[in-house]
Amino acid sequence: MSKCYDDYESNRRKRKRREEENDRNKHEDAEVVQDGVQKSFIDQESDELVWIKDSCNVEVQSTDTQAAVSLQVGLQLAIALVVSITIGDSDEGKSVAQELFQQFDAEQTNKQKVVIDNSKDVRITTTDTDLAVNIQALLQVLVALVVKLDVL
Amino acid sequence: MSDSSKNPKILSDKVIDLLVSTTLQKNGVNIEKAKSQLSDEQKKMFKDLVEDLAKQVDSFMKKPPVDKKESK
Repeated sequence: MSKCYDDYESNRRKRKRREEENDRNKHEDAEVVQDGVQKSFIDQESDELVWIKDSCNVEVQSTDTQAAVSLQVGLQLAIALVVSITIGDSDEGKSVAQELFQQFDAEQTNKQKVVIDNSKDVRITTTDTDLAVNIQALLQVLVALVVKLDVL
Repeated sequence: MSDSSKNPKILSDKVIDLLVSTTLQKNGVNIEKAKSQLSDEQKKMFKDLVEDLAKQVDSFMKKPPVDKKESK
């Protein structure tokens, strides 16, 4: 009777230990997966609303977000390309590119609301500052990188 | 909106240079070896690419006129 109980206890302990080991393995796997998958994600949200009512001669000039995003992607690609050719497509190279992009990874939300009501001769200019900052910073990184590599 | 986008440089070149140097150093990158991976032709291509991107960024920043008129 007592033996049975001991067996039960030890099995239970073994099972528990196995579960703990599984948990630990799962955790280790998770780290590996994260290292491989984590790339450059820039979560940006830009909302712009310009509402014009009962007005005349209103001129609106807003940032061409699509052009800005294309430029941003172009800069990121150029950085990745320089790193890939010079340092190689190894873990080392991937890590360098990832770390360079990561400095500018941030959740950015940009909301603008402009209401023009009962007005005449109005000119509005809106700027998506977040995108402008990102683009400038990425260009600076690219230039610094190619200067280091004697390209410029 | 903020006027910060009108600044020619938001981050100083020194900060960026430090960021790039530290990142390369941290990952054990040998700069001399990396330099040798680029052929003269590739260097020229990258030079043209960077100059082209710099022009695009420059024109993007200068694009919108800054004066604002508002009436009530």
